[in-house]
Order: sequence, then structure tokens, then C-alpha cells
Amino acid sequence: MTLSQRLYRASAWLFPAIAVALALCLSFVMDPYLAFLGASWVIFGILGLSLDIVWGRGGFLSLGQTAFFGLGGYLGAIAAVNLAPVIGNTLLPTLPLAALFGGLCAGVLGALIFLARMGPLQATILSYTFTLLLWSLTQSLKFAVGKAVVGGDNGMSGIPGIVIGFGPHARALPPNGVFAVCVIVAALAYFATLALMRSTFGRVVDCIRLDIQKTELLGYDVRRVQVVNMAWAGAVAGLAGGLFALWSNYLNPSMFSVQEALLPPIHVLVGGLGTLAGPFVGALTIGGLSFWLGGGVAGGQTTLILGIVLVLLVLFLRNGILGAFDQLWRRFLPDPNAAARDAGEVRINVGDLDRIMREAEIQVGPAKTLSTDRVFKQFGGVIPVNNVSRSFAPGRPMALIGPNGAGKSSYLKTCVGVYQPEGGRVMIGDTDVTHAPIFRRVRLGMGVKNQKPQVFGALSVYDNLWTAAFARTRNKAKAADVAGRVLAMLGMTAQAAVEAQALSHGQQQWLDIGMVLCLAPRVVLLDEPAAGMTNEETRELSLLVRTLARHTTVVVVEHDMDFVRTLEGHVTVLHQGEVFTEGDIDSLRADERVLDIYLGRRQHV
Amino acid sequence: MAPDFLATVLLSSLSSAAILLIATIGLAVVFGLMGVINLAHGEFLMIGAYTALTVTQAGVPYVLSIPVAVAVTMAIGALVEVLVISRLYGRIFDTMLATWGISIAFYQLAVLTFGTVSPGIGMPQISVQIGAYSLAVYPLLMNGVALAMLGFVYLLMTRSVYGMKARASIQVPEMARAIGISSARVNTMTFALGCGLAGFAGAVLLPIVPATPSMGFAFVIKAFLTVVVAGPVTLTGSALAALGLGGGASVTASFLTSVAGDAFFFVATALLLWRYPLGISARWRRKL
Amino acid sequence: MFRLVNATGGYGKTTIIRDVSIAVMRGEVVALLGRNGVGKSTLMRFAIGSIPAMAGHVEIDGKLAPAAPERRARLGVGYVPQGRFVFPRMTVSENIAVAAAATGHDHRAAVTAALADFPMLRPKRDDLAGGLSGGQQQVLALARALATQPRILLLDEPTEGVQPSIIDEIAGILKRINAERGIAILVAEQDLDFCLSIAGRAYVMEKGRIRMEVDRDTLRADTALQQNLLGV
Repeated sequence: MTLSQRLYRASAWLFPAIAVALALCLSFVMDPYLAFLGASWVIFGILGLSLDIVWGRGGFLSLGQTAFFGLGGYLGAIAAVNLAPVIGNTLLPTLPLAALFGGLCAGVLGALIFLARMGPLQATILSYTFTLLLWSLTQSLKFAVGKAVVGGDNGMSGIPGIVIGFGPHARALPPNGVFAVCVIVAALAYFATLALMRSTFGRVVDCIRLDIQKTELLGYDVRRVQVVNMAWAGAVAGLAGGLFALWSNYLNPSMFSVQEALLPPIHVLVGGLGTLAGPFVGALTIGGLSFWLGGGVAGGQTTLILGIVLVLLVLFLRNGILGAFDQLWRRFLPDPNAAARDAGEVRINVGDLDRIMREAEIQVGPAKTLSTDRVFKQFGGVIPVNNVSRSFAPGRPMALIGPNGAGKSSYLKTCVGVYQPEGGRVMIGDTDVTHAPIFRRVRLGMGVKNQKPQVFGALSVYDNLWTAAFARTRNKAKAADVAGRVLAMLGMTAQAAVEAQALSHGQQQWLDIGMVLCLAPRVVLLDEPAAGMTNEETRELSLLVRTLARHTTVVVVEHDMDFVRTLEGHVTVLHQGEVFTEGDIDSLRADERVLDIYLGRRQHV
Repeated sequence: MAPDFLATVLLSSLSSAAILLIATIGLAVVFGLMGVINLAHGEFLMIGAYTALTVTQAGVPYVLSIPVAVAVTMAIGALVEVLVISRLYGRIFDTMLATWGISIAFYQLAVLTFGTVSPGIGMPQISVQIGAYSLAVYPLLMNGVALAMLGFVYLLMTRSVYGMKARASIQVPEMARAIGISSARVNTMTFALGCGLAGFAGAVLLPIVPATPSMGFAFVIKAFLTVVVAGPVTLTGSALAALGLGGGASVTASFLTSVAGDAFFFVATALLLWRYPLGISARWRRKL
Repeated sequence: MFRLVNATGGYGKTTIIRDVSIAVMRGEVVALLGRNGVGKSTLMRFAIGSIPAMAGHVEIDGKLAPAAPERRARLGVGYVPQGRFVFPRMTVSENIAVAAAATGHDHRAAVTAALADFPMLRPKRDDLAGGLSGGQQQVLALARALATQPRILLLDEPTEGVQPSIIDEIAGILKRINAERGIAILVAEQDLDFCLSIAGRAYVMEKGRIRMEVDRDTLRADTALQQNLLGV
């Protein structure tokens, strides 16, 4: 590995660490006024970081970050005003309380948004409404807590500065010291977030942004992860708010204002969305630009230029400063996706697969049946699933066929949990899952492969498999073992580091199937798995399905009768939402009625 | 409670709702019909107000300044669409950020050009007496203006060939082009129309809301929330949402405080979004 | 009069159709057969200009067709997409009128003519198109395409999700407009009998390429070929 590659890999912690060290050195020598301003840029960087966590990583543009910032600031200030005369130090009472409060509020708002499964626009608007509500409420909210007086639109004044000493005689730090403290707090927030985002939790957050449905199909409780991520972001915002209160010694409702709410997005975009370090770069750039143009803290005459810069950024520099830098650097690094071009054909090794499935049986128990009892699904006047009662057991592949619009995929979606049926029951083994969320069904042993390949494009092939394996094993070493063996079976060992999006359509299909195997499912549902595959791939797929069916229940929804015939399994024909007939494929091919509905054979005009 | 007081409150609240609706219709066209979040909508309103003010100060009668304001805002709107918006269709959040950039740039341009305080043009001093209270007539007139605007947009969109093309382009863009509609030109026209309506609103509200560079901020948020709550049946939905949210806020403000009115607005918006995630009109079977 | 020459296209970086060349003569009805996912819809969208050409081009009357779909529509290319895509919040009449107006024809006359041609739409003329049944929407999508007064009509899976009685009706209408107005038709279908009833010639697609070209009688007689091609 070259030096450039090593540096690139370490860049997320190395360069921020250097920047922190530099800033701390500078804090001894810099001009106090610049230090005063610089501290505010760092604070806005922390606020931007909080947005980057929910937006850049979580995929939800929250305009509520300034609300958590303000709420944390107010509560932190109240604590500081009351406790500073007693203990002296203002950081200890203020920052943890501010972070906790910000996190709590964000968690509650996040629960409202994510548990209601709101659309992205509605979620953004709701978070914005929350901020605006606080804006109008705080204008007239007047109360006192101990010595702290919250004075409506007069704001809250007399907040002590940053004091690190203890006792009644401890003094507030001068601007240069304040700057240093802000840098240290920012570094703590950044590195803690970096660690979190590099943990398995962060992996799931990334997966949710890339494909939330697939993440849930791996058995992760996606909505809980979203709420926790939002709460963490809120805590970071609250922390920034507490620091801001101590920095400015004064708070007023304009913290919740329209203009303020849109500042974090601009900082994040300028720096680079999803980079975590970007918001700091963005806040520093915007702040520095304003300062250089003579506007100082308030912005002043620079607003015009900022507005134009924002438009140009959106139009021409979508990845921000760090994003552009990253792209430039990567041009000089060896392409990790080069191996995708030499990928060979997939060869299913029956022995390996048998071994993997036998082990799975020992670990997670025997195969389960999937059964439906008179399930009924209706959309307006259309009834795609009309009282279908079926039971699928292991032993041989179970195929579901039927012409277009017969209700095959609606039936499958009802089994998976995408649709909630209006009547009837769905059972996995002995458990009634009719109304269970998708991830719970997956944890009961359901494995689903949808028609289109669902892979996490920005993750490597190996990481895709590992994430699936970890969902079941909840153990890093075991997950690595399972992922490694499935990788070998797919013949993709040489492509382990390739980004999944660089694979061909067919390879993505196999990777998706590999992810389902990593789950060691007790019931496998495959929706048109042969679509878009070459003849050779279709043959291997058929072998895989037949081998799997010896160990677990396998249900295949197919259009392609040729493929179904090679499965040598049991076939159910659906037509107009109902079970039309069933049997083995040869008897069905001889059945004129089946040919009629399949071919649409009638007498025409 | 005295009936004259009640009548006064109801009438003035109705006017408030009408004013909100006037400010919202342009956004309803741009967001509701085109799916573009135009955060600069308020600034187009502001440009309309300043245009009307400047023209009036130059000696032209106020009534004639209104069409000038519409023409100016439509032209600027068309330019913005061609230069910025047309490159961002389908990227809803990018559009939002870009239009925010335009919004603050226009705001600052207005500050540089007109300063932060401008003389108003004064409301016509005609009022009606209801019991012990007197009500200015001009705000009451806004009810008629709002209805006229609604009617105009409704007829334009449903009866004219342009209206049909605009709706077709927005409902199924690919098919619209496949039957021969030049969607790019139609979209420019629709965006300009929305901006022109904002300019009209700014001009017609000038006697009530004096022109200031920041007047846009005051309107855009509530207008925006109104349109989001309205949902896909834009025009009828917006009228109803404006009546409920704007009127309700105004009634609340009359009995309590203006802050309580704002709080009512935002809480009602949040509750409606929670209850109807796709807008109140998501299940209506209406054209507009 | 309508040709695709070496058409290659797809979505993003993915190529779906490769080197496809087909031709439809004046007044001819041609079917495009093949299983799900072989690229029939992509080919149709290539033909109308909805997806950019990676290679190859489209010719109308021997001349290179313009790139923009709206300009192709005005040159007489009518399109009925898979899944119909009527304008859901416009009335039946408006759906027809806007198509006529966009291609420079009198929209009132077009609506009158369409309602005369399609009696089924008459009682629904002022209903929103989104509220019609699948079969009615299919007929409306056809009426809308005819309102542009096309010289060639491209139909993508017109029988999908349509009840049998309406399928028969659609087949009848297509035969009639072909015979009476000389409109050429290219129809992508999986419903073999529907195709056999209207088309004189067929192209068979497999994996994004044209595998063979057969005439109606050969296809009708050869059951083995039918099973093989359509995976029945």
C-alpha cells in the first residue's frame, strides 16, 4: 500500500487531529477578536455536525437542529446562571445538561416522525414547524428558574462565560481560552461521532440511507436506529447550544428563527454532505468569508454574496469542498473497483452450500413452514389477493406462477409484510405474523429476495455480506466467518473490496442472494430471481434453489415457465387473485385451461 | 360577548385568511403544480411591492402600478427558472437550498437599493361601522381579491390550452412530451406565472403591508406550510387550509395574543401533517 | 417509413437494448414479442426519444428523427405506454384535448371525434381519468395517442391488466384504424393471440436483441416455437 493510500484511509481522523493541534497552538498567539469570532465558527461547526449526522448519514434533512441547539442553550444557560456562583465551573453543569436535553427533544421528535413513517418532505416540514413553533412561543415565554430569568423577546442575559476553575473566585476565560475550549469540545464531539459512525450502528445508519427496505429485510429494526441516530444528533446540537450560551453570554428567540434554521444546511453543503468534518470546513469558510468581506459576526453586506455562493454551490459543486477534494484525490489512487471487470462466472458448489445450510440448521433450528389462511387484500375495487390459503413446506421448491396481474407479487408482499391484509392470517412456523413488522418476520427466519437486486451500492461486496451476516449473528467474528464463506461460494473473493454499485446487474443479483443466505433463513421467498439473468446464470440459480429447498422452505414467484420446470418442484397457479390450480409443471403444461389464461388465448374479432 | 365585537373579529379574521390566501396562491401554483419548493416566493412578493411603490411614487395611479408589478416579477421569475430551477427538477432539496440562496440575495439587493425603511402608500381611509367598532374597508376588499385570484387561476388552468398543457406536464412529464408538449417552455411559463401572482400579491397588499426588504420572510413560511398542508388538489386545498390556519390563527390572536395565534398556526399545521401525511386533499377527486 | 437503426440504450450506465434494427412500413402492423424484461419497453422508449441513444438512431420517412420526444410526436409518432399513464387529475375530454392541442390540431374537434370513435368513453367524458378502470384507461390512452393524428402508433403491452372483453374491443379498434386511416402500428406484447389477430409480421426479442423475424402464419402454425419463445 502506498503512502497516499495509507493517508487516504486515515484521513477521517488524521487531518482533523492535525487541525485540532494547529488550532490549539494558534489559540496562544491569535488576535483576541479573531479568537472570539473563531470560537463561534467552531460552535456552528458542531451544529453543522449534528445536521450531517441526520442528513448526510441518516438521509433526513432536519430543519429542527437549531431548535435542539436553542433548547440545549436555554437549559444549559439556566443551569450555568444558578450553579456558577456555587461551584465556579460553568462547563460541567452546562454542557452535559444541554446535550441531554437536546438529545431528549430530538428523540421525541424523531419518534413522532419515524414511527409515523412520514415521507421525506413531510418530515422536513414537520421539523421546521417545530422550530418555528419554538420561535413564536419563546417570544412571550417569561419565567424564572432560581436566578435565571427567561425574558421572552428580551432574551436571557447575564449568562456567565466559560469558567474552568472551581470555587467562588474562579474567573471566566479570555477569548483565546474560550476558543481553545470550543476546539476541544468540538474535537470530542467529532471523534465520538466518528467512532459511532464507524461502529456497526453507523453501518446500519448508512444502510438505511442507501436502502431502508433492504435494511429492514435483513432484520434490523430500522425505525429504532433512526430515532437513536436523531437523538444523538440532537445531543450534539444541544452541546453546541450550551457552548453558544456561554460564548455569547446572551440568548434570545432569534436562535429559533427562519434564517438561523437554514444556516446549518449551508455549512454542511459548503463543507461536504456526509463527511462529518465538512460542516467545520463549511462554517469556517462561510464565517471567514463574512469576516474577510467585512461583515463580521452578523453577516451584514455579505448576505448577497453568500446567497449567490449558495446557488452556485448547489448548481456546480454538489459535493462541497471536502467532497470535491475527495474526488480529486481518488483519481490518483488505484481504483478499488477495477476487480469488478475480471469477475468470473458464479459456480454454485453444492457441497459448500449444503454445509452452510446444515450449520445454519444447528444454529437457528429446523426449517419452518410459511402458511396463509384465507388472506385477503384489496385496493379500492381491485382484489389482488382473494382468500388465498396455502402452506409451503421444505423438501422441494414451491413455485408460484400466473399471468401478469394474477396477484403473485401482491400475495408475496402480503407474506413479507409490505402489505397489511384486510383479512386472514399469515404464519411463519407456529407464529402468527399477520400484523408483525417486516424485521420481526426476518428475525423469525424469513429471507426475501426481491425482483430487482437490492444491494448497498456504496458499500463493498464484503461489507454487504458482513452486514447481512451480522444482522443474524450479532457477533463480529461469526459474521466475518459467514460472510467469508458465502463470498467464496459466490466466487467473488477477488471482488471483496469492490463497491457493490460497480458490479454488473447479474453480479448484483448474486450478491443479493448471498446476503439472503447470510441470514440462514428458515423460509426463503424469491421474487422472479431469474429475471435479467443469462442462461448459464439461470442454470446455476436453479441448482441453488434446489439445494436450498432440501434444507429450508423455498417459495419462488416466477414468470419464466422454463425456469420453473428445471426446479422440479410443486407449482401453484394464481389467476385473478385466487388459486387457479396446482400440481407439477408437466401436468400444468398439458392443462389447456392454464395455457388459455397464460397465453390469453381466445377468439378475437 | 357583544355581537358587534364578534362580527368584527370574524370579519377581520376572514380578511386575514384572505390575505394569507393571496400571498399563497402563487406558491400553490409553483409548489402544488410543479413540485418546486420556491423559498424565494416571499422575495417575489417583496419585488412586486417595491415595483408598485416605485411606480406609484413616479406619479402613476396605484391601480395601474399593479400590472407593472406583475410584469416585472414574471420576467424575473422566467429568468430564474431558466438559469437555476430548470437544472434542478426532481432534486427537491437542492431546489429548496438554491431558492433560499436567491431569496437572501434578493433580500440584500433590496436593502442596498431601498434601505430598510420605506414610506407606505397609506390605506384608503374608508371604513364601516359595526356597533361600537369601525373596520377599514380595504382589508375587507381582500376577500374579493382572493376570490378573484382563485377564480382566475382556476379558469386559466382548467379552461385554457396552456392550463391543460401545464397540468399535463406536471402530472406525467414523460407522457406530456410524448404527445408533443414542450415541457421546458411550459414549465418556464408556469414558474413565471407563480412569481407573477406573488408580485400581484405584493402590489395589492401594499396599502396593508408596507414594502420592506424582509416582508418576504413573514409571508413565505405560512404560505409554504399552507400549501404543504393543502396537498395535491392545490387550489381548493390551499383555500381551505388558508381559511382554517390563517383564519383560526387570527381568531386566536384576537382573543388571546398574537403569539398564541402563531402557536395555533404551527400546532395546527403539525397536527394536520400528522393526520394527513400527504396533505388534506390527498384523497379528493378534484382537478385543482 | 419508421426505422430504428442499431438502437442501443438503457438507463444510467446499464445497457438494456443493443444494436436493435427494425422497420415498420407505411400502413403495416408489426408485433414485438418476447418475455418479461427482454427490453421491449426500453425499445419503445428509445423509439419515442424518452431515453437518450447510446448509439444508433431513429429514422422517419428516411430522415433522421429529431431528438426531443415532443418534436417526434409532432412528426406523427403516437405512443401508448405500458401502464397507460393517462393524466390522472384531468378529465377524459381534457386528456384527449391536450394531445390534439399540443400537436397543433383543433382540440374541440378532436374530442368530438374521439368520443364518436370510442363510445365507451362517452358517459365518462367529464370524469377524472385517474378514476377509470384499467381497461377504460387503456382505451383513453389509445384515444389520446390518436388525437395527435399519428402516422405510426407505438403500443406497449396494451392488454396488460385489461379484461378480455375490452381486449377484443381494442383489437377491433386497432384493425379498423389501420385499415381506414392507414396508420402503421408497432405493438409490444406478451399476449400471443392478441398479436396474431392484428399483426402481419413479428420481431422476437431476447436479452436486448432481436432474435428473429417471423410472419404471422409461421408463428401461428409452430406451437413448439411459441412455447420456446414465450417460455410457455
